[in-house]
Amino acid sequence: MLQFVIAGLVLGGIYAIASAGLVITYTSSGILNFAFGAMAFFIARFYYYLHTQQSWSIPAAGAVAILVASPALGILLYAVLFRFLRLSSPLTKVVATIGLSVALPSLATIIFGNQAIQSAPGLAPEPVRVFRFLGVPVTLDQVIVYISVVVIVVAGALVLKYSDVGLKVRAMVDSTAMTDLSGTNPTTISIGVWAVSTFLAGLTGVLAAPIIGLDATNFTLLIAASFAAVIAAKLRSLPIAVVVGLLMGVATSLIQRYLPPASAWTGEIIDAVPFIVIAIVLLYSLVRGGRVGETEGWGGALDRAIAPQGESKLAASTSSVVETASLNFFGRYAGPVVLVAAAVALPLVVGSYWVGLTSQAFAFAVIFLSWTLVTGEGGMLWLCQITFAGVGALSTAEFANHQGWPVLAAIVAGGVVAMALGALIGFLSIRLGDLYVALVTLTFGLLVENLIFTLPTFVNQGLGVTLDRPGFATSDTTYAYVCLAVFVVVSLFVVNLRRSTTGLALNAARWSEAGARTSGISVVQMKVLAGATAAFIAGIGGGLLAVSQSTVVPGEFATFAGIVWFASLVTIGIRSTAAALVAGLAFVMLPALCQAYLTPQWANWLPVVFGMGAISAAKFPDGILAENSRRLRRLFERVAPDTLADDRFVEEVRAGVAETEAVGVAPGVAGNAP
Amino acid sequence: MTTATDAGAPGADAGPNGPAALAAQGIVVRFGGLTALSDVSLDVPRGSIVGLVGPNGAGKSTLLGVLSGLLSPNEGTVRLLGDDVTGVSARHRAIRGVARTFQQPELFMGLSVREHLVLAYRARVAPRRMWLDMLNPAALFRTAPGETDTVDGLLERLHLTHVAKAPVAALPLGVIRLVEVARALASEPKVLLLDEPLSGLDIHGSENLVSVFREIVDRSDDGLALVIVEHDVAAVLALSDSVVVLDFGERIAVGTPEEVRSDSAVRAAYLGDVEPPTRTAAGQEGPAPGSAVDGQGAGA
Repeated sequence: MLQFVIAGLVLGGIYAIASAGLVITYTSSGILNFAFGAMAFFIARFYYYLHTQQSWSIPAAGAVAILVASPALGILLYAVLFRFLRLSSPLTKVVATIGLSVALPSLATIIFGNQAIQSAPGLAPEPVRVFRFLGVPVTLDQVIVYISVVVIVVAGALVLKYSDVGLKVRAMVDSTAMTDLSGTNPTTISIGVWAVSTFLAGLTGVLAAPIIGLDATNFTLLIAASFAAVIAAKLRSLPIAVVVGLLMGVATSLIQRYLPPASAWTGEIIDAVPFIVIAIVLLYSLVRGGRVGETEGWGGALDRAIAPQGESKLAASTSSVVETASLNFFGRYAGPVVLVAAAVALPLVVGSYWVGLTSQAFAFAVIFLSWTLVTGEGGMLWLCQITFAGVGALSTAEFANHQGWPVLAAIVAGGVVAMALGALIGFLSIRLGDLYVALVTLTFGLLVENLIFTLPTFVNQGLGVTLDRPGFATSDTTYAYVCLAVFVVVSLFVVNLRRSTTGLALNAARWSEAGARTSGISVVQMKVLAGATAAFIAGIGGGLLAVSQSTVVPGEFATFAGIVWFASLVTIGIRSTAAALVAGLAFVMLPALCQAYLTPQWANWLPVVFGMGAISAAKFPDGILAENSRRLRRLFERVAPDTLADDRFVEEVRAGVAETEAVGVAPGVAGNAP
Repeated sequence: MTTATDAGAPGADAGPNGPAALAAQGIVVRFGGLTALSDVSLDVPRGSIVGLVGPNGAGKSTLLGVLSGLLSPNEGTVRLLGDDVTGVSARHRAIRGVARTFQQPELFMGLSVREHLVLAYRARVAPRRMWLDMLNPAALFRTAPGETDTVDGLLERLHLTHVAKAPVAALPLGVIRLVEVARALASEPKVLLLDEPLSGLDIHGSENLVSVFREIVDRSDDGLALVIVEHDVAAVLALSDSVVVLDFGERIAVGTPEEVRSDSAVRAAYLGDVEPPTRTAAGQEGPAPGSAVDGQGAGA
């Protein structure tokens, strides 16, 4: 028993350090750092580079990686990214850190090389010394974890409680605005906090690498587990985060003792522990408090006054809203029509290898439309669309292979299965704040990935499940057109939904719950509707993709791969259906183009590009497609004025505002009344 | 001080015009240890305007929250046209005819001015369209019967026609307040709850909005009633048929504007025995000499 507790404290200690780093940056800057795992990986990879590849000694490599490079990375990221996010909406902040989490691991590969790493050394010299503590064997690596946790907890508590810096940090946590006004410079403190946080990330990385291996996905999974402790701490309490982190480690270890070690379920349950913790904490808070939001109990009146308006969710900028509203029919639809025409021509003009990829690209475009609806339109950051796509693909295979349904019917049925799950998630996350929704959907994706996608029937020894194309579309070209047709139908549906009464009501629920409810609109129904419809779209997209590849390999629908999908869509644009098509093509074609015409190393740059693109969503919330078409439009307008937009519209709005303001409700309005 | 608005069990007994549009009785709201409202009753007869005044923290906005269903009271009942709606959600109260505006405007930033009104109208008149329209492209061109008249009429009446197509994200606060009032009226409510509708408007704007309120109540066919929470006490006294004064969560006075004006408890609550203010050209922001009531500051 004691043996398991001591072993569990190692994993728990790593959870604790990571969750401390997450809580610190959240409380001081409002940024829940989804890139924490990527940062930890980056530093761990740097340590490996110094120690193993460059043969530095452990103390030198450790000191440079953890004490110098980690804080430096934090300061650099603060300077180029985080400081610009201070007044951004929660959603923009999350998307930016997601972009970073996509970019950093690839950047590490580009900088430090991409050799396969079998085992990563820790901070203890090899061979690792083993001590005996109360009869239990403990390695020096484990001892270093214990010491680190104790030092961080003690030093952190002393600094926060007794030092001048600690006082300022605590003041800033309570109210950034008041701290600013009382003569303390929040920038200096923020830099310090980011340096400390990335130091903790670096420490987590170097300590965890010997245990979980030097693999970016494992790191992100580790941090996703630490999110459980952060959620239990309501994102803010450092002591609770540390204690829950430690307890989770011990619980995981004890489960190992009491469950049969041979059972396949044991490993899955162990992986699921953090996510079960998240589910319990959220359900408990919902039952107790009715609502879980991130702003509760935060800041003073001044902070709320300067905080981003109404949790503005990847909002299009005001000027772009007016500009879009001013477009005439031609200006609005010329671009998408040209794009679809180009897509129609594509399978006819490219070689046979590329035609197969085209159908995949169109299937991806359908999946991306699900984000256009739920995040672009509904303002809900769902990170599990890839899971719905996977569920759709597997269900399609099930209905087609075992029930003998026609493939297209099976795809629709697969969408319905995904839709049921989407409705469930929508319902469960109704009373959660934006950040929690992102975390819960991420958790849900990881759970399905671990518990369902790993079932032997689906994995089939790594081969996956085979699927036949519909009889009339066995050729790549015909099937590409089937996918394109589905894309066009679904986009028209999304465009219609956006402009219909449903879209108006969805928009209302997104921007003001109180306003929507007191106008007779059900926020619950609208969010469930958007979530379920989006899940259906992702499900049929997944089905189309699987049929296009003729197999479903469940591993391809890993949650973190979905985050890369998301980053690439945000880069192109999350609000327009045309952007979904371009993103689908870019996501499939660019890596293939790199493979075919450049050296494979170039493909490593793509995640970096998509990651940077997602980061830039803070500046261009509409994405690069909308931004560039706007520029193109302005250029075109110069040559041929008044063809695309009704120029008078903007003037009219301006004049109308001035008039309404000047007159107020003008004298004699009673006379004007009907 | 017993008046027409304070007779017996509010709303239960039918007056000459039938049951009261909205009636609250014995409302108690506690936030943890703090009692925000203790045993407050309010009666809003059909076709009347009831003013709700009181210093900061008196519980005015809390009471409006209880009436609109956004807050549930610890004790007490709320009746809408005689029916007990205490347990009815904000949304269903809205569908049954309670509309409101907010101190901090709660608009839908992605929609145009006109779309706000259309949505509010359809939410009451054709609620099923919120589900069905997404599948029906033809619905884009279909308006509910009476929709165009109501929406365009309101836009014109509140001088919003020129900005009807503008996204509300592009509008300044003064106009946004008008849009909120217009949205509330577009649902053709039985009772309209207004939370500080005049703040942010200049003197012309607020005078004329006051005249619009009077006019829509007077012209309403089915007895629209208004409850107005406002710091501009002079405007409330001039507009209302009856006034309720709250202080520290308790109702300290109720009656006609004249009765409230001369009530000693009201004078005591508002910083001593000073004449009620007269409205000045400076608007509601700067307290005029002797306007101790206004001097109580902003925020409910």
